[in-house]
Amino acid sequence: MADKELDCRGLACPNPVLRTKAALEAGGVERITVLVDNAAARENVTRFLQRFGYRVSAMERDGIFSVLGSLADPEACVLAQPEAAGAAEAQQKILVLLATDRLGRGDDALGAKLVVNFLTTLKELGPELWRLLLVNAGVKLAVAGAEVLGVLQELEQSGVKILVCGTCLNHFQLLEQKRVGETTNMLDIVTSMQLADKVISLT
Amino acid sequence: METSDDAGVYRLNDQLALIQTLDFFTPIVNDPYDFGRIAAANALSDVYAMGGRPLTAMNIVCFPIRRMDKAILRDILRGGRDKVHEAGAVLVGGHSVDDLELKYGLSVTGVVSPGRVLTNRGARPGDRLLLTKPLGTGILATAVKAGLASPAAAQAAVDCMAELNRAAAEAMADYPVTACTDITGFGLLGHGLELAAGSGVRLRIEAGRVPLLPEVLDYASMGLVPAGSFANRNFCAERLRGSAAIDPLLLDLLADAQTSGGLLIAVPAAAAEALLDRLHRDGVSHAAIIGEVLERGSGMVELG
Repeated sequence: MADKELDCRGLACPNPVLRTKAALEAGGVERITVLVDNAAARENVTRFLQRFGYRVSAMERDGIFSVLGSLADPEACVLAQPEAAGAAEAQQKILVLLATDRLGRGDDALGAKLVVNFLTTLKELGPELWRLLLVNAGVKLAVAGAEVLGVLQELEQSGVKILVCGTCLNHFQLLEQKRVGETTNMLDIVTSMQLADKVISLT
Repeated sequence: METSDDAGVYRLNDQLALIQTLDFFTPIVNDPYDFGRIAAANALSDVYAMGGRPLTAMNIVCFPIRRMDKAILRDILRGGRDKVHEAGAVLVGGHSVDDLELKYGLSVTGVVSPGRVLTNRGARPGDRLLLTKPLGTGILATAVKAGLASPAAAQAAVDCMAELNRAAAEAMADYPVTACTDITGFGLLGHGLELAAGSGVRLRIEAGRVPLLPEVLDYASMGLVPAGSFANRNFCAERLRGSAAIDPLLLDLLADAQTSGGLLIAVPAAAAEALLDRLHRDGVSHAAIIGEVLERGSGMVELG
């Protein structure tokens, strides 16, 4: 069993996936780190590794994503089927609406610290955590340089869908800086709240 | 009369307008003959999308003459010629240059009655939307490149891309079609949004009814989504509604950049089923009604 590292910076899709595939074909790769420099490549490499039985996490620093895959079950090996959909269906769906980049009122510095703590702890909700909606100043948590960016990326990798309000990004002129989640609009936000079993709202 | 990026219409007289289009690209499949057929079907498609009939075509060739076997070029040109003939048009010449990277395409001249020029600007509330070819050529081409596509799926993609939009265009001529565009690099979502904006309407697309090439959802789940299709998805995100409620892999398919894609047709509801039947009868077997035109609006696409 070996660890591998691949530098796919500067490569457009599908090349990072092709390189990753070639690396895995050598066989016996237990852990692999793939460096890419664009969000499309991050998502594709993540999907590819997940599809072939790897647990995946990704980190971003200065526009470079490192996608780390580790073989969830070495026996499963290559060409494992994707996880059966439907297993999660029976659980309730918790949606967290974050309309601020501070938690609570009183002291802004404290509020900023608390929101970091809150998001770091949020994963304790387990698989019932379904979606995270970022609106108004909440979108500032999803942009380059945000302290919780890594935390949010980890949540996203673990399957939590993060929706970031496009109007809000636009308002703060942060459209280009967004580094995690999917840009969305009000109808999707409203629909998500309707579909959720429980909405936790922080404003 | 009309212009867009790669097609122009020029009115000659009250009965006749000239359509001129041009399109060429780098190989998207390995087989040279197939590449020639696909490039020609793609170039001819612009004429069909406007409701026209192609008359003449000229080859555009960039070929690395010192590095590549000339037999490859011969096969490409043979593929192109065969498609031009299938379209009932004549290949009248062409131009080639020595280039590092192989590229092939055609410039096509066609005719249309000036009163019957179809654009993406005429769709009206209540119209139904038809799509004549399945989606997924971008993702499938990527899967082929990765060596992960099954032979059957790869062949289905080649057949799809090499199919002329001729039968679809000829069927349209017999129905009160209000708008049409061909689906190419911006994907169904991108071209759908253009049609919505051009017509000043909103579109509703039933994602589950959109025809797809075989196995493409599977390839999307493996991360075989080309960069252009990702860019389409992000570019369209702001003007979509309901995207959060549909399968993200399906969304990738709707945004997938197509080569030589089908026609997206808007037609009044009363005529939609009849046009669909006609398309199926004429061999456009994947054609489907995929949605409808909603009220006047600012060019949104609603997904359901």
